[in-house]
Amino acid sequence: MRSSSRVRPGPALCLLALAAVAAASPTFAGAQERFRRTPPLPDAQPQELKLPPIERVFLPNGLSVATVYRPGSPLVTLQLVVRAGEIDSPPERPGVAALTARMIGKGTKLLSAGAIEDMVESMGADYSVEVLMDYTVFTFHVLEESLDRALFVLRFIVLDAQFTERELASVKRTAYYDLYNRKKSPEFLGWRQFLRTLFENHPYQTATYDEDVIKFISTKDVASFYARFYRPDNAVVLVSGAINGATVGKKIGLHFATWVRQPVERAVPAPPAPNARDRVCYVEDPNAADATVFVGNVIMAASDPAFFPFLVLKHVLGGTTQSRLFMNLRESKAYAYYAFSETEFFRSCGVFWARARVTPEFIVPAVREIVREIKALSAEAPVPAEIEEAKSFLIGNLPTRFESLEGFAEWMARVVALDLDEGQWDKGPERLKLVNVERVRAAAQNYLAGKPLVVIVGRPEWLGLYLREFDTIEVYDNGGALKLILRKGEER
Amino acid sequence: MTSSTGINKAARSLLLILLALLVPASFPAAPVQDTAPNTLGFEFQEHRLRNGLRVILSVDGRLPLVTVAVAYGAGTMREKPGQEGLAYLLENLMFQGSENVSPLQHVGFVQKVGGDLNATTTLDRALFYQTLPSNYLALALWLESDRMKSLAITPAAIEKTRADLLKEHQDRLASDPYLESFALFDSLLYPDFPYGHPLIGAGIEMWGLTESDVLTFHRTYYVPDNAVLCIVGNIDIARTRELVARYFDSIPPGLDIPAPPLPDFRQENEVVVSRSGVPASVAGFHLGYRFTPLQTGDAYSLKILEYLLLKGKTSRLMDRLLNRDRTAQHFSGTLEDRRGVLALKIFCLNNNAVMVERSEKAVLSEIDRLRTNSVSPDEMAKAKRLFKMDYLRSQSTNLGRALFLVDAAFSGKPMNALGGELDKYMRVNPSALISLVNRHFNLRNRVLLELGQR
Repeated sequence: MRSSSRVRPGPALCLLALAAVAAASPTFAGAQERFRRTPPLPDAQPQELKLPPIERVFLPNGLSVATVYRPGSPLVTLQLVVRAGEIDSPPERPGVAALTARMIGKGTKLLSAGAIEDMVESMGADYSVEVLMDYTVFTFHVLEESLDRALFVLRFIVLDAQFTERELASVKRTAYYDLYNRKKSPEFLGWRQFLRTLFENHPYQTATYDEDVIKFISTKDVASFYARFYRPDNAVVLVSGAINGATVGKKIGLHFATWVRQPVERAVPAPPAPNARDRVCYVEDPNAADATVFVGNVIMAASDPAFFPFLVLKHVLGGTTQSRLFMNLRESKAYAYYAFSETEFFRSCGVFWARARVTPEFIVPAVREIVREIKALSAEAPVPAEIEEAKSFLIGNLPTRFESLEGFAEWMARVVALDLDEGQWDKGPERLKLVNVERVRAAAQNYLAGKPLVVIVGRPEWLGLYLREFDTIEVYDNGGALKLILRKGEER
Repeated sequence: MTSSTGINKAARSLLLILLALLVPASFPAAPVQDTAPNTLGFEFQEHRLRNGLRVILSVDGRLPLVTVAVAYGAGTMREKPGQEGLAYLLENLMFQGSENVSPLQHVGFVQKVGGDLNATTTLDRALFYQTLPSNYLALALWLESDRMKSLAITPAAIEKTRADLLKEHQDRLASDPYLESFALFDSLLYPDFPYGHPLIGAGIEMWGLTESDVLTFHRTYYVPDNAVLCIVGNIDIARTRELVARYFDSIPPGLDIPAPPLPDFRQENEVVVSRSGVPASVAGFHLGYRFTPLQTGDAYSLKILEYLLLKGKTSRLMDRLLNRDRTAQHFSGTLEDRRGVLALKIFCLNNNAVMVERSEKAVLSEIDRLRTNSVSPDEMAKAKRLFKMDYLRSQSTNLGRALFLVDAAFSGKPMNALGGELDKYMRVNPSALISLVNRHFNLRNRVLLELGQR
């Protein structure tokens, strides 16, 4: 018979048990596990971004077809890209490109606008039009079972478009009020003035028109623009989804075979010169609650080798709430509600800008801080750790931009319309990995060393109260008309 | 009899306990459902940890991303009178640091690796989510588990967060002249406190909240057995389960979580309220019908009815008020679901009182038309296709799928029936709509709030 002492666990086992209990279930014991104290390391092998390739075919009439096999969803995106954007409106008729695009789907010889709208909604489709600086995109998101019908409708509304006085009047009314209402946004007012000033005497300024120009546009203007630019050799049909590219290509060929070819003369404008002098523009917005500030300049096009190093710079400056601008202007100095940096790229150039929503009494110090932060980047490149952190963000964030149906469609249309290379498709992470301190420094010196343009949107009375320290201020109304130029020491 | 190994029964039991404690991830804590058969276009799995945390996993390997969403049953319906704003305050305090994560570091950690994140508070839940590169899944779980386990709530953080939220609320009120009317309309449509009060009340209540209120709310509702963790993306199921167990399994469950309050609406007649305290130039109205209780299948019919009446430019009410009659400047509407209480809500803005009256009549006449006239097959098909498009589109991203699954978990629907849900919407027929309208669109559950002078 064994002694009773031997049925109990020994002291060593008891200690082990206690230690294990404490280690494995500390919450119940009150302590915390060691693994909670520091953030875990990422998995060693991150998944590489890999997008399906864009397959391209050309039809006999010059129409290009681009397809992407994108499985995993029963939804398909059908797009038509026409290589004519705001820049292609005649200089004396800004807005014609936008109105022409809006008129597509507003009637054909056989069907009224209402009937077309009903056809689109009967497919369950979502139809939208976007007019950008260099191109226009017509987009249908449809159920895959409706793709054939969507192709039919797209062909029908584009090739058989009719521009009646009645529909144009309705479209003009809507466009007018859209533009008018956008002026309620200080962000829009600032952005428009920023582009208008940067693109002074450049064709890109055509895109910065006010609602008043809409009334001058006639059906003749629209028909003429359509006849010139809406040609198969100036367009691309794009389809993405769980599709058979070859089959879809054949269907597109059948639908669009009658579209008559006509060479389109269209020059790419030379890039504008960057702003090179101290310049402060003030846009009066009587209803502004805070001041909105834009500070920026012209930069390279997306096809330039400096593109990826500049993205890193942009991120270091103001990519997120952890970046320099936000930490300085909001967290440290409490001048601003937010402060970020952004870029946009057109065919011949790009623009970058810092944007901040600022407490009115801090407009001047906030602008100075933003300019100082930009200058600091051009004077001294970010340290390697900051560059690596920015690269990590950009590489990690890239896939989120085309996760959605809309994001993917926008990404694909941009790459195709601007003839961008694979670096702009799914090789961005590889290009970003190659960015180093030297390339960032070179990009900063080339593009941030100049004098940035400053645009401020705020109430008229803030000029006299808070902006006396600027040497010269150009004051504009909210329609963009120059009202006066104020010099330091002058009263309004 | 002792075993041949020489270790007695008690010691063996102890070793088994030790093994279980040391490797909790090796064993499923609760029976795991099989992958649900479904027509959703994606699959998911569900299991529960020992502390009650409900875990839903779904693989989508198309992009190197993962979404981690955590939803707590800690929405506004948990607030008591005088505590308006507490749920929203706590949602924001969840970013103010925990035992191992400094204030706002959660945002910093996620953004550093390129992730996006956000949070919302609704009637029945506080929802936190982040989408980030899939190789950082452990980071997201570490962050979420740390604030579930050990949120650091300090008086200073409460003060600052409360002041920021109230300032933002005041800014919103100043920039949107109709915002208050939406809150008033909700209080009329859902005439009981838990279901009808807004995210932030007048603001006075929020100032009155004490540290003790905040701590009690957190201790009671931010617990694993009152939460759903959903992970969707480029994940390996076994590895993910292991990580989930590592970070969440040892968090203690809550004590006596109160059951969510049930709606208690007492209303016998139509409620009509006129409100003139809006800008003089404004005329318009909110109109709503509240539906409870519903019969089986009614929710599916109501959804299709929503599309028939309100979705798309050619839907019945949009076409009538904006294109044909042109009595409205703005017209919108939606079917809202507040924890199983559905309501059709319409908002209309007009030029003047005459147009308000005409618009109201037009809406009511279109609803009346549905009492007797069958909807044509083409119109039914259009409404269903528009709905199907939105339904599938909402699930086209990792986040969309995660929110869909969290929503299903909170609704109490059997998860393994989700795969057949779309078919139920597609089977709604015209006679079901006639029956629905005759049973549910009546004066007992109709609320009208008119804006501006009559």
